[in-house]
Amino acid sequence: MPISITPLHRVFAGEVSGTDTTRPLLRDAVAAIEAGMDRYAVLVFRDQRLTDEQQLAFSRNFGALEETRGTGISTPGEQRLHPAFADVSNLDKDNKLLERDSRRRLYSLGNMLWHSDSSFKAIPAKYSILSGRIVTSAGGDTQFADMRAAHAALDDATKSEIDDLVCEHSLIHSRAMLGFTDLTPEDRATMRPVRQRLVRRHPATGGKSLYLASHIGAIIGWPVPEALAFIRDLTEHATQRQFVYAHKWRPHDLVMWDNRVTMHRVRRYDNALPRDMRRTTVAGTEMTVAQAGLAAE
Amino acid sequence: MTISIRPIQSRFAGEVSGIDVTRPLDAADVAAIEAGTDRYAVLVFHDQPLSDDQQRAFTRNFGTLEQAPGGHVAKPHERRLPPDMQDASNLDKEQRVFARDDRRRMFNLGNRLWHSDSSFRAVPAKYSLLSGRIVVDKGGHTEFADMRGAYDALDDATKAEVEDLVCEHSLLFSRGLLGFDVADDERAMFRPVRQRLVRTHPATGEKSLFLSAHAGSIVGWPVPEARGFLRDLTEHATQPGFVYSHKWRQYDLVIWDNRQTMHRVTRFNENLVRDMRRTTVAGDAMTVAQAA
Repeated sequence: MPISITPLHRVFAGEVSGTDTTRPLLRDAVAAIEAGMDRYAVLVFRDQRLTDEQQLAFSRNFGALEETRGTGISTPGEQRLHPAFADVSNLDKDNKLLERDSRRRLYSLGNMLWHSDSSFKAIPAKYSILSGRIVTSAGGDTQFADMRAAHAALDDATKSEIDDLVCEHSLIHSRAMLGFTDLTPEDRATMRPVRQRLVRRHPATGGKSLYLASHIGAIIGWPVPEALAFIRDLTEHATQRQFVYAHKWRPHDLVMWDNRVTMHRVRRYDNALPRDMRRTTVAGTEMTVAQAGLAAE
Repeated sequence: MTISIRPIQSRFAGEVSGIDVTRPLDAADVAAIEAGTDRYAVLVFHDQPLSDDQQRAFTRNFGTLEQAPGGHVAKPHERRLPPDMQDASNLDKEQRVFARDDRRRMFNLGNRLWHSDSSFRAVPAKYSLLSGRIVVDKGGHTEFADMRGAYDALDDATKAEVEDLVCEHSLLFSRGLLGFDVADDERAMFRPVRQRLVRTHPATGEKSLFLSAHAGSIVGWPVPEARGFLRDLTEHATQPGFVYSHKWRQYDLVIWDNRQTMHRVTRFNENLVRDMRRTTVAGDAMTVAQAA
């Protein structure tokens, strides 16, 4: 059965049918999904009852996987999942709910802020692939914002103002925004800021997008408060309703997004209910600061 | 000529005509303005070329001028205006535009965040009155959000959840959001105060959300959870449907009721002079008892 994609939103996001991601894919199917990602930036696959192994195999169709070791807060011996998974659940190693004031839960609340996965790495992520094993029905939506449309909608003066700006991204910053500062010296070393262009170009489509994330703590050459106020304004612009698709999870949804052209966040949900979401991440292949000459159209 | 108010949005923000606020007002005018502020929360008066003394005199019709210390990092000898006027300009004492990295300018950038004036004081402000002496024509708008409308639009579960919550407000929190470094001797001045998250207007009895960038925690909650929730509420409360954006003309005077609004200034070219002077009517009650 050939793959087909139905739009879920006016500017981006599509629902894929005709694909069983639990089974090996032919090269044509992989190419069709990549082409769909280039166009829609977010793809939703329904009813995909994946095992961890199957999710890993599906993800590897699109490139090498990121490992979670060496990012975020160190939680030695507490990992519930294989190191190629980011555990986006509210569960501990024994599949029990995290306590309200547990360090891991408070750290994970940073996901309520708009961000792009691994923008705090020198080579940031390509795709994220999130499998909803146990979902919540009240709250817990994942919202996505289209950073291509957000860039296109800027006025010309702002476009030229930002075209060559470079930002510093760090987990230290996004967590500090929520007052989470409980970091060890090792965490802080791991989370050292990296530089990213504020406007990046997609390697396949050539299109420009805003590269924003709550991890941004500075713009090179700007006073910090002026930089952060400006980044807030840009983020508000970029996350207006017309650029946002809100995904309401059904069990066994698989959602895949291109971090190079989107931001996302999770919405508040009742922490008394289990939410088991497992993410694999396809590594990127280049630094954004290596994209020179973006100003020349 | 009698005073009249044209609503700008159905029940939020009104444009006042038929009054010259540079001259003494009679009791009926004052009552009409108070009633208008209760109802519309923001009132705009055009073409009011006020002197500082006239602005003070007009302001005193509505209560006592707030002149408590502690709202700014500018030292007393650096102030361009006397302590009963808040300087919302980008000018130093010699009427020069602040350098880009001037610490006072960095501090003032906090006004780009949604806030309610003096929510960081145990007794927060009643009205603010902002006079546009020299305005900029691109950007520099003041945006207002209706905290009654925002409260009313919450679902019932959220209303019940927020009803009795108490927040801590401090300039430390709002400036922290922009990475502004507070000096040690300023830290004591910025000690957090407590405010109810839902407050009731003393005149109308209407409930509103008492949010502000100064709110940095909820009593009894883990801090990151509180901040995440306050951000969500602020985003809800500042949706376009609750917001009036005021584009300034020279000599506009805008009054707003801090007990039922938030506001912020939008970005503008700070190489240009923007001279805005604020007087503030002190509130008369705490929203909640302070921690011992």
